[in-house]
Amino acid sequence: MRANQKAWLAVAPVVLVVAFTAVAPLMTVVNYSVQDIFDVHTRLFVGLDWYRETLRDPRFLEALVRQLGFSALVLALEIPLGIWIARCMPLQGRMTVAFLIILAVPLLIPWNVVGVTWQIFARPDIGLLGAAVTALGVSYNYTSSAFDAWATLVLMDVWHWTSLVALLCFAGLAAIPPAYYQAAALDGASRWQVFRHVELPHLKSVLTIAVLLRLMDSLMIYTEPFVLTGGGPGASTTFLSQYLTSMAVGQFDLGPAAAFSVLYFLLILLLCWLFHASVMKRGDAAA
Amino acid sequence: MAAIRASSLHHRYQPGAPPVLEGVDLELRDGEAHAVLGGSGAGKTTLLHLLAGLLRPSAGTIEFDGRDLTAASPAERQVAQVFQFPVLYPALDVAGNLGFPLVNRGWNAAAVRRRVGEVAELLSIAALLTRKPKQLSLFERQLTAIGRALVRPDVALVLLDEPLTAVEPAAKWRLRQALKTVQGELGLTMIYVTHDQTEALTFAERITLLHHGKALQTGSPEALYEQPAHEAVARFIGSPGMNLVDGEVSAGSIRCNGQVLGATAAADGRCALGFRPEWAAVGERGVPVAVRSVRALGTLGGVATGLVTAELGGQAIHVQQRLDGPVGSQARLHIDPSRILLYRNGWLVTDATG
Repeated sequence: MRANQKAWLAVAPVVLVVAFTAVAPLMTVVNYSVQDIFDVHTRLFVGLDWYRETLRDPRFLEALVRQLGFSALVLALEIPLGIWIARCMPLQGRMTVAFLIILAVPLLIPWNVVGVTWQIFARPDIGLLGAAVTALGVSYNYTSSAFDAWATLVLMDVWHWTSLVALLCFAGLAAIPPAYYQAAALDGASRWQVFRHVELPHLKSVLTIAVLLRLMDSLMIYTEPFVLTGGGPGASTTFLSQYLTSMAVGQFDLGPAAAFSVLYFLLILLLCWLFHASVMKRGDAAA
Repeated sequence: MAAIRASSLHHRYQPGAPPVLEGVDLELRDGEAHAVLGGSGAGKTTLLHLLAGLLRPSAGTIEFDGRDLTAASPAERQVAQVFQFPVLYPALDVAGNLGFPLVNRGWNAAAVRRRVGEVAELLSIAALLTRKPKQLSLFERQLTAIGRALVRPDVALVLLDEPLTAVEPAAKWRLRQALKTVQGELGLTMIYVTHDQTEALTFAERITLLHHGKALQTGSPEALYEQPAHEAVARFIGSPGMNLVDGEVSAGSIRCNGQVLGATAAADGRCALGFRPEWAAVGERGVPVAVRSVRALGTLGGVATGLVTAELGGQAIHVQQRLDGPVGSQARLHIDPSRILLYRNGWLVTDATG
């Protein structure tokens, strides 16, 4: 018993830190989500009412569908593109360093700045991209067309984050011993087979990380669409985080916003867990 | 199978870089088990890459059965290689790995399955065919990699690049036996590259000793042991290697430190005298030496044998002999005079029989 008490003492710092950084804030949100709060002294326990309300809110559901669509789209573009870029890079030499620096640049730019940059870049009147596209005779305006707004957002996200996938994949490719390529050459493997049987299996762990990072991040995207489109035109680019912010900060609906937050958090957790579990399960089957 | 002839291979990785291979000649008979022995940096792996077609030599030619394939791609040469560590395709099971080179050459599924079954049977890995590489021990993985190298019935040459390096010591012997058996049964032309002389001596019919990018000697294990063509070969082969001491030839006698050790027909002049540790004995006859240490090696036929380290004219030598009686610190060294080898400028003096 005494030994157990000592053990508790030893883990106490960690318990305290976790309690203050994760458990307490989270529990505050959970606490809000089951109450209707009028002022500091007047509150009402409402059970799961806010959850029910949120799940029935058509604007929440629309934002959710948009969010899932956006994440699926950017992942479907960034992962293959990142792998392709990594494969095109020279594995060593002076050019490699140049490539790595160029690739790292988008990752170093603050998200706000990325949004502002693209906001100007894509303007049909003075932006390089927008004006060029317009000059080609294509009607393009991200502030009035939902399709254009989506295209611009997706393009911006691909520009911003493909580098991350490419850098991770490059590290993965650089770690493959040359003997694998030599064996494949002796076995008469085609380029596709080298990719399928040598590179892809060795990239599995970095790709898992890349997909997880991009999945989490894209589900949480806020700053860039906020700066670029402000969620518009209409609500066509309003994603979950933006809707949540307008609810919590704009309208000060703390109860529904708390329920929304918990659902949002659980959604990200669930999707990441599902992905990770499916990768691990297949790994075990193959192991 | 094929007979292989590599002539005066030169290779440097970049223009201006130091040469890795300098005029290496190599000849393999059809179906020969050949070992390339050398220390690290001798150019062994480069030589393999040149033979496999993974590299193009800076100069020199490579012929398979008389056809010049110097510029041919690895696939055209029908060459297979086993690497230092087991190189398998992680996503494919053992059967998939074994069949990979056949599938790539357009074999139909039934023929692939039949051939994979044969090879698996030969290496006793038939029970593992449905396993993935991750589920195999290192030994089984390397066995699978060997299987993949043997799977093509028309393979011209199998290259083995220190294939036992990654395998646990207990399994090394089994793997070497498996290789040797398969080589004999299929009559494969094999090149076994290693820095381990025991592996080379037990595997190969003939050995080429590579040293600093040059092939110093090619011959049977006995020839390399009994008549090393170069001082480097003499030192590399044997454990401990051959004794090499400074000496000279004058008026038909071999002298060291002023003492006559034997007679020779070689011309007069300074040279190095080489003798294996077991070609000499420390005892009551011969030239005086200072004994430094005596280490027991064990018993052979009921007689204790040991390694005597002594100094002959200030140069350390090793003698391996029976320890019948005590060895004093001041003793005499007798070297079998018919077995003393003379080296000049590093190379064996061949007209020295006497």
